[in-house]
Amino acid sequence: MLKLLRDTLAVAGNEFRQFRRNRTAILISLVVLPLFFTFSLGAGSGGATTRFSPTASVPIAFIDNDLSIDSGRLLQSLRSSGDFNNLISGYREDSALAVLGTGEIYAAIVVPAGFQSALMDNMTSNIVLYADDGEPGLSDQISLTLQNDVRNFSPKIEVQATTNGFTQVEIIQKGALFTGFNLGLVIVLGVVQIFATFYEIAGGMAREREDGTLARLLVSPTGIGSILLGKTIFDSVLGTIRTLTVLGLAVFLYGARPNTDLATIMVASLIVALVTMGFGFLAAALRVGPRAVVIVEFFLVLFLFAFSGLMIDRELLRGISREISYILPWTYGFEILRRTVLVGRPLFSLTSPLLFVVGATILFYVASYIIFVLARERISF
Amino acid sequence: MSDSSITTKGLTKVFGHFTAVDSLNLNVRGGELFGLLGPNGAGKTTTVRMLCTLIEPSYGSATVAGYDIREQASDVRRNIGVVSDGVSLYKDLTIEENLKLFSTLYDLPRAKAEQRILELMEIFGFREKAKRLVNALSSGWQKKAMICAALLHEPRVLFLDEVTSGLDPQSAIALQDFTRKLCDQGVTVIWTTHYMGEPEKICDRVGVVFAGRLVKVGTPSELKHSVSELSIVEVDSPGLSTAQLDKIQSFDNVCNVSYKDPVLRVTCEHHDDLAEDVMKALLAIGVRIRGVVTKEPTLEEAFISLTGGEEEIDRFLESGTHGK
Repeated sequence: MLKLLRDTLAVAGNEFRQFRRNRTAILISLVVLPLFFTFSLGAGSGGATTRFSPTASVPIAFIDNDLSIDSGRLLQSLRSSGDFNNLISGYREDSALAVLGTGEIYAAIVVPAGFQSALMDNMTSNIVLYADDGEPGLSDQISLTLQNDVRNFSPKIEVQATTNGFTQVEIIQKGALFTGFNLGLVIVLGVVQIFATFYEIAGGMAREREDGTLARLLVSPTGIGSILLGKTIFDSVLGTIRTLTVLGLAVFLYGARPNTDLATIMVASLIVALVTMGFGFLAAALRVGPRAVVIVEFFLVLFLFAFSGLMIDRELLRGISREISYILPWTYGFEILRRTVLVGRPLFSLTSPLLFVVGATILFYVASYIIFVLARERISF
Repeated sequence: MSDSSITTKGLTKVFGHFTAVDSLNLNVRGGELFGLLGPNGAGKTTTVRMLCTLIEPSYGSATVAGYDIREQASDVRRNIGVVSDGVSLYKDLTIEENLKLFSTLYDLPRAKAEQRILELMEIFGFREKAKRLVNALSSGWQKKAMICAALLHEPRVLFLDEVTSGLDPQSAIALQDFTRKLCDQGVTVIWTTHYMGEPEKICDRVGVVFAGRLVKVGTPSELKHSVSELSIVEVDSPGLSTAQLDKIQSFDNVCNVSYKDPVLRVTCEHHDDLAEDVMKALLAIGVRIRGVVTKEPTLEEAFISLTGGEEEIDRFLESGTHGK
């Protein structure tokens, strides 16, 4: 056991010594990747220092069929929210529906006649959202943001006193709560960890095999376990630094406000990194070469974008895509990240995703270990 | 010399349909400098890799330094040093850092490791280069650094696989002398090479390996005498024409004729009166002769004879099936 620990630390120390001499690796791993993904997503989210709202500049028709004080105040409230800066109020309902889908407007919000009186009578009042079916992602976004904003809408005092606020307003569409750059933070953390970690582990092992340094380790009394653990320690430290960089940029530059503490974010991010490391070792055990590593990584990231709930909610996936998402351990890793960062769920309350992702990580490591031990010659040369 | 340091019994390695090493039976004594001689692809490196526990034999068994390579692989690794093209140092580290890393992995106590590193640096002239990255060294110095790392833990068995390739002649000779001294101190050395001259100079015994098989084992002298049916005559005869050489080539029983003006070398099998017959034949075609010497076969000639002649070797090398 002591030997395992000593060898593990020696291998980890060796990784650090090499890393510190490799300026390109330092630059790419700790600077370029975290900055690139954070900036690119942040820039696409409305630019630095401004509140991120993807619906802010989208042209949307606002049709007021009630022409009441409350419907007027609702329009003002939506405009001042920063989420709907391009509300156009000149349309009639039929003319708005006629141009919906042409790209002139992307949605129509209709306040029906009787909106104010229903509120005053303490009854449920509906507003109707017509969305562009050609833009499903955007439609969801508009719906979610609108739902959020009407909840925050403050009616006149006499109305509020009798109507129990706008909980009575229902919108005909449902979706999850959108939380500004917090979602961006989750995506960036996931992508950066996967991108960097897989390359560092699988690529590093492939290069070591080609250089003959892996064979050098294997003719020494060092165990395979020490090699795997040593590299894991090294990459966990890099992963932690990357998490801090992304988090710092997201919070200070783009105003992300994670709904959980720093330690939870670090652990959740490390969970994603660890499962990727396990997969990287498995790729190394299956003798994926340095060039093939780049190709595998490319497809891995694309695959995860499509099937793991990183960009598209798993619940929105259909058919085989949804089935694939259930067997990908990263799906559960991202779920942990989302639920902790976005809605502040305690890490250990997420039992199912935690069990799945930890189980998958152990499975990857054990499978890699067994292949390394059984097929020494495959990894030596 | 002490007891057996390496023993193999029917050691075989098969890659797919290709048998790289075929039923190798070998006994190498402790402190012996044993050469494995053979062309590229003959199975030398595969043999070394099996004995180093880097690759698993397909069949057969072997012990190295008294430990079974399958059952006691970790003990084998603790007792061997390896210098081979496929086994390298970390090029982004200095020589000193590499040696420190491996001293930890070999469980050397810190004080002993530092002393040993200094000692090796001194022996190999690394003192001024200790802080230089391995990457920044010439290939010769890199090889020396690899030898340092292989000797760090004072192994009982040292595998030197094609160790002189890439070395300048002086370094190669110095390494040969150093290896000889190591053996005198009791270290068993397996020296694999395809350079025929090396084992003849330094090895206690040589195993001739060809097409995966161990063809013959013996001292260089024994190997040469085992092909004593070879008769070699060198004739000092300047300015021979191509027509004259063709004529000599067509003499009965002549296996091989080579000519580097003015030395004509004629090799025959089973020809006791070769010198006399060659003289007569040369005089008959009007060749001027300044002198005649009868020679012993070299290890290279013994190798060629043992492996079935030059044509057989050419066929083997050209077949392309000898590679993995």
